[in-house]
Amino acid sequence: MTGNLLSVLVFLPLAGALILLMLPRENHGLIRSMAGGTALLTLGVSLFAWSRFDGAASGMQLGESYPWIDFGMAAVRYELGVDGLSMPLLVLTTVIAAIAVLASVKITERVKEYFVWMLVLTTGLLGVFTALDLFLFFLFFELTLIPVFFLISIWGGKERNRAAFKFLLYTGLGSAVMFVAFIALAFTGAEAAASAQASFNMIVLADMFANPAIPEVLGTAVRAGLFAAVVLAFAVKLPVFPLHTWLPAAYTQAPVPVTMILAGVMSKMGAYGVLRVGYGILPDQAATFAAVIAIFGVINIIYGACLALVQTDLKMLIAYGSMSHMGIILLGAASYTQAGMQGAIFQMVSHGLIAALLFFIAGALYERTKTGALSELGGLSRSVPVLAGFMLAAAMASLGLPGLSGFVSELLAFMGIFGAGDLIPAAAVIGIIGVIGMILTAGYLLIAVQRTAFGEMKEQFKGLPDVRPGEYVPLIGLLGLSILIGVYPNLLSDIINTTVIDIITRAGG
Amino acid sequence: MISYTADWSLLTPEIVLAAFALLIFTIDFMTGVKGHKPFAGRLSIVALVTAAVLMITVNGTQSAGIGDTFLVDPFSTVVKVMILLGAALVVMITMYYVERHEDVYQGELYSLILFAVIGALIMVSSADLITLFIGLELLSISAYCMVGFKRYRKQSAEAAVKYIVLGGTASAFILYGMSFLYGLTGSTSLTVIGGQIGELFQAYPFLIMMSLLFILGGFAFKMSVVPFHMWAPDVYEGAPVPVTAFLSAISKIAAFAVVLRLFFTGFGGIYEEWAFLIAVIAALTMIAGSLIALPQRNVKRLMAYSGIAQAGFLLVPLAAVSTVDLTISVFMFYAVAYMLMTIGAFAVITAVTETAGSEDVSAFSGLYYRSPFLALGMSAFLVSLAGLPVSAGIIGKAWIFIHAVSAGYLWLAAVMVAATVISFFYYFRIIHRMFTQPGEAEAARTEVAAALEPGSLPAASPGIITVVAFSLTGTIGLGLVPFILTNWFTGLTWF
Repeated sequence: MTGNLLSVLVFLPLAGALILLMLPRENHGLIRSMAGGTALLTLGVSLFAWSRFDGAASGMQLGESYPWIDFGMAAVRYELGVDGLSMPLLVLTTVIAAIAVLASVKITERVKEYFVWMLVLTTGLLGVFTALDLFLFFLFFELTLIPVFFLISIWGGKERNRAAFKFLLYTGLGSAVMFVAFIALAFTGAEAAASAQASFNMIVLADMFANPAIPEVLGTAVRAGLFAAVVLAFAVKLPVFPLHTWLPAAYTQAPVPVTMILAGVMSKMGAYGVLRVGYGILPDQAATFAAVIAIFGVINIIYGACLALVQTDLKMLIAYGSMSHMGIILLGAASYTQAGMQGAIFQMVSHGLIAALLFFIAGALYERTKTGALSELGGLSRSVPVLAGFMLAAAMASLGLPGLSGFVSELLAFMGIFGAGDLIPAAAVIGIIGVIGMILTAGYLLIAVQRTAFGEMKEQFKGLPDVRPGEYVPLIGLLGLSILIGVYPNLLSDIINTTVIDIITRAGG
Repeated sequence: MISYTADWSLLTPEIVLAAFALLIFTIDFMTGVKGHKPFAGRLSIVALVTAAVLMITVNGTQSAGIGDTFLVDPFSTVVKVMILLGAALVVMITMYYVERHEDVYQGELYSLILFAVIGALIMVSSADLITLFIGLELLSISAYCMVGFKRYRKQSAEAAVKYIVLGGTASAFILYGMSFLYGLTGSTSLTVIGGQIGELFQAYPFLIMMSLLFILGGFAFKMSVVPFHMWAPDVYEGAPVPVTAFLSAISKIAAFAVVLRLFFTGFGGIYEEWAFLIAVIAALTMIAGSLIALPQRNVKRLMAYSGIAQAGFLLVPLAAVSTVDLTISVFMFYAVAYMLMTIGAFAVITAVTETAGSEDVSAFSGLYYRSPFLALGMSAFLVSLAGLPVSAGIIGKAWIFIHAVSAGYLWLAAVMVAATVISFFYYFRIIHRMFTQPGEAEAARTEVAAALEPGSLPAASPGIITVVAFSLTGTIGLGLVPFILTNWFTGLTWF
């Protein structure tokens, strides 16, 4: 029954895309319902997988494994599986993808191609979060690049071409480093295990690195180099300062639903990669480099927040704010405590929901006011009170108001970093700087809300239409989930706890 | 010595092909020099496919030989089947092309292609320097004529002259290099030379190195690798498009196959002496090809430089050798992928450039609106050339890469990755063009404005569609189920 559940989940959107290709180009209604139906069905399947997931069991679940390619000196297997780290992200992906597809009502040009690319992108994302074979992981990772390139360069804003090629360059370089790092991991592992054929399986590799037959192969320098390469590769997607410069261009130029996926899910691919590959295979190095990771996390928080403070454009502000919040994931993960690691995973989910929500609201405002400049907005709480209300709620969620998901994740992450004194020297200082970053966050978010929602209402904004029925779905859906996690965090922590403890103990042992 | 009791049946496919080539040649001049001759094209396809089928049924995966001059082994059989099927696809493109050009003598072009293919087949199977050279020259001389086939067009004639002068020089290089080997060993047989090369190198290191360098230089020209690559863009640009396809797919792969046999069988004993040299050449080729491709606007020149970069990738396995069998498997997979994606891309290029009347990349603007199938096909080929999923290209490149790392050539693998990232740009520039409507400013600037009117579909013939569909199936299919080839290849003993 659940034998190939993950494969079905991963390739369902692709199958939908293939069916879309056969539909007549002009019949927009049919195309939209087909795409929406596929996305909702995928969401349903992912929830079914969630229900089948046993939070108390450790290790990979719902696994599938078939031999795929025999390279002679290395074998690639088609292997999928989920654990407490990937399960929440899997559901997050299907949620955001479904909402993004439903939020694509404003796409009126080349509708068929648009949805085909969206669904292909969803397959790539789901594949990344389920692949257990590094080679397969890499293929899915690369598969996401092509749809995003098209989605930005065809349906994007004025600067779309520059943004698309910039995205291509940065992520292309990131993938290149990733591939080199993966191959190096596989061959170093094979050498250490004195095995003739290299394996790309993450679990096998983790075991090879943990219990090498020939420990001399795995010198400190080799391990450190491998870990650094893995982190560098994923740092582009995350993005970590100073590899973030593709982000504002891509986030602001992409059409709104695509930005929701970019900020909500794709940035998590980077964080997931660091945790899955970096922490999973080289836990000792993750502990050694904890201070460095924590410092980069804090830099991300402060730098992103400072840049967000000085932005004059709403979308740019949210883009830098989103980058700032990704720093919390690094901070929590670096602490290597149970609370911190939980916080990191919570933050991945929470940030996914809130960033998508904020970008959706920014898009909805832009569509009505035709401007993104903060100086030209204002008083929208009078013309579009409901939308402005949602914006206030989203901002509160983002800055970590208790009762919303942002609060749980930030609290846990900071608890983690303050409790990591024995691993990170001056952990408290790093934590305090991070908390200052949270104050800056409150600053820019309040500026954003104040400049748009409150103040003098501009004449031209009078009589703008408020939230349309179709827009309630993303707004209530995303905010509702954020509240749900904020009020009842056990929903998530039941799933992730066992995996978190596994990650922590591996580093200790 | 070859005795007359040798198993001549091993030559069946070549003999059948030669008979067909002569038949087409004869029918051609019996039906008058000018005029439409679609039957000649169809007959050529029949000939090539028949030869391919014979190759599989008669030769199979056996290892045998006629004396030690003509070898039939899995290596030669696989390459030859590839060449024959590739050539059949090129003939289909040619049939489309010649219908739009009154000034080419159709029949001759087909028989030239067939003769060139025979040359390639002989070359791939040869284990003797003389046989090898005969095959090489049959291929090269036919190719010279093909390049200058539109002789009233200045560029075509210029390209032919350039190609013949430089190609002749390259052949002379090869011959000169071979003369040393013959002088030292007294034999032209590769196996005999291979058996003595180690000792000979101890005794005459400089002579052997000189011989190796001359031979390598000559073949570097044929493979279009740095620093002997400069003819390629000019010749590719001047030649008729199907001929360009032939040069970049068939003739390049044949040259690579010969180099592999020559270096593994003949110079295998002194691997340490040439591996680094090949690695450097491969690295330079990948980097130079990718970088110079960036500013190209003529699509044929762009494909020439992209082909140079691809040649660099194909050269990597030769430098980073693990075991001979595995190395050849790695090469062979990418060679299959390269041939599929190159021929497919050239089929689309032919249809587009012939309709637009221009070879500027702007001819591709908005292709998706005019012909979605061609645009999607071309995108798949370019994605595969760029090395992104889901395609044969990424699996092949990854295998080359993994293989190079396992053989200890990490730096070469790194160069390969860098070149790949650079290549994203020129491939994606074309893809991007195909999917965006040409702006008005753009249309006014280019001379192809008229051809870009909506509704001016590239009149793709069934032939072109067949070629694109075949290559597309192969390219995507090998990306999804690469184990069909990889697992078979890794189990083969090639030589």
